Amino acid sequence: MTSYFIRRLLLVIPTFLGITLLVFVITRFVPGGPVDKIISEARMMSQSEGVSAPGGESFETGSPLSEEQIEELKEFYGFDKPVFVSYFEWLKKVLVLDLGISTRYYDPVWEIIRDKMPVSIYYGTISTILVYLVCIPLGILKAIKHKTTIDNTSSVLVLIGYALPGFVVAIVLFVWPAANWNWFPLGGFVSEEFDDLAFIDQVGDVVYHSVLPMIAYMIGSFATMTFLMKNTLMDNLSADYVRTAIAKGLSFRSAVFKHAFRNSIIPLATHFGNNISMFLAGSFLIEKVFNIDGLGLLGFESLVERDYPIVLGVLVITTVLGLLGNILSDFCVALVDPRVRFE
Amino acid sequence: MLISIFAELLINNRALVVYDGEKVYFPTYGEMIPGRQFGLDYDYETNYRELQLAYQKSDGPEFVILPPVPYDAYEIDLKDGRFPPYPPSFADRHYLGTDVIGRDIIARLVYGFRICMAFSLLLLVMNFTIGITLGCIMGYFGGKFDLLFQRIIEIWSAVPFLYIIMIISSVIIPNLLMLVLISVLFGWMGLTWYVRTTTYKERAREYVLAAKTLGASNSRIIFHHILPNSISLIITFVPFSVAGGISALTALDYLGFGLPAPTPSWGDLLQQGTSNLQAIWIISSIVASLVVVMVSITFIGEAIREGFDPKMHSTFE
Repeated sequence: MTSYFIRRLLLVIPTFLGITLLVFVITRFVPGGPVDKIISEARMMSQSEGVSAPGGESFETGSPLSEEQIEELKEFYGFDKPVFVSYFEWLKKVLVLDLGISTRYYDPVWEIIRDKMPVSIYYGTISTILVYLVCIPLGILKAIKHKTTIDNTSSVLVLIGYALPGFVVAIVLFVWPAANWNWFPLGGFVSEEFDDLAFIDQVGDVVYHSVLPMIAYMIGSFATMTFLMKNTLMDNLSADYVRTAIAKGLSFRSAVFKHAFRNSIIPLATHFGNNISMFLAGSFLIEKVFNIDGLGLLGFESLVERDYPIVLGVLVITTVLGLLGNILSDFCVALVDPRVRFE
Repeated sequence: MLISIFAELLINNRALVVYDGEKVYFPTYGEMIPGRQFGLDYDYETNYRELQLAYQKSDGPEFVILPPVPYDAYEIDLKDGRFPPYPPSFADRHYLGTDVIGRDIIARLVYGFRICMAFSLLLLVMNFTIGITLGCIMGYFGGKFDLLFQRIIEIWSAVPFLYIIMIISSVIIPNLLMLVLISVLFGWMGLTWYVRTTTYKERAREYVLAAKTLGASNSRIIFHHILPNSISLIITFVPFSVAGGISALTALDYLGFGLPAPTPSWGDLLQQGTSNLQAIWIISSIVASLVVVMVSITFIGEAIREGFDPKMHSTFE
């Protein structure tokens, strides 16, 4: 078992290398990188300054910067070396947690990401807990009351939530409860006067701001988790061992909770790791709608601005989290199910 | 869906039938008819709405039958003295209003839906072709090929799809086919993986062994024995992947990385709706149509899944 997990952990390395190399190469060959950006900015500046721009001959080539200046820029951003060489240099730095310097803010990427982490962790943990808190009881209820009104109506409601993409739900919540009826704030993570509030009010403020985004985050996973819980519990309820338990005189309640329920949470455990990593990485669409300053939005904005060190940095974090999440899932399964033996 | 195929008949700025006293025209399909043909003083395409007004004033035998929504998805209909977006109005025949630059919302919704469906269906066909072929080969033959592709899928599926598609489409301006190809590039893994597992399971069953003993070739076993047995499980994926395609395209368009600007698209309408909250009719109509479409697709999918599901849940009394 231990050797299995060690092997899994080792397999993370080639996968990680493959992903980062792929994205690294793509960012390298896509035009519009930081060097191109500075060139176009310089062109705009020289145009607004009029004819007095330096270097009359460079105007003929269409570039406001001389060849040497461009070379210097390329060297500054590390674009002067072959792709693989610079990839390995980047990789070497990543190993010591140095993700480079943002080409937009000129701050270390690691610090920028670290600043955004608390928001993502907050949403991640709370929504994971809430999903399990809602889905497990709901699944049990639906399994016991199979084919009754409660079961059917909740199925319809949960399925509607499942059908809509998360960001559409976010937009709906943003437009009506927040913008039109003013029940909730229009996005953001805390109020402007957050620092002046007492601790209790601060907590209240955060909760008040996060109700809607939280719903949008969770609504998609509700359906999967609830139906998983319901179906496995029903399989177990119809299994022979539950019938035996009832036959020997156990009450229905303890047969469900002591026997069937325990076996039914195993598949839920397989999703645990995935849920954690998914919520931590966030959904940049939802973050964009509610203007939450999390990891997802950071990644999206830096992609638009071609701030590749940040893009790669966010990618590193999310990839590692995702891969570890998979292993964590297996680990959870092994934890709750003593029958599972990974070879 | 069927309605959207014949959308030209319902929502168009060309008339359905024109009768100018001598001849009957059907301008919806076919060449454009210049205005001079109907005795108007211009050579560009006839404005049938004005033609109808003109015919109504002169009480001859001429008539124009317009579609119920007489606007095209690209047509900008500006009113004097007011600025778009215009609220819904029956008098203007913009039943759901117009968007921020004065295009009819119903027209854009329906034509946008058509593009969306075309995208998802193309995506579906391609994904399923690749998925079934590769999955069958991987599951049936196994061995090194299987192992190699397992690793490739593992790496490939961990690459964030939206990131790549955004990087690519910010460089080249994508058309529909291009977008489909990019999405296929990052969307074939799920189904391949699934088909592989089912094929793998089926292969171990006795009937395959029996067929083999009888001397059936590999291709016969795959096409006549394994595929018919696993196809019902694969079919259940169809509605969900259509829904996935729609939401992917909508998300891309919403962010502005999808189809280029004048194309009618749902994501574009969503984007306009959220940035123009005072024009509540934009966001209401797009959200309502999204809800209806996605929910009905999902419910169809659930019904199919339930129909094919061999497991009967016995309830405990």
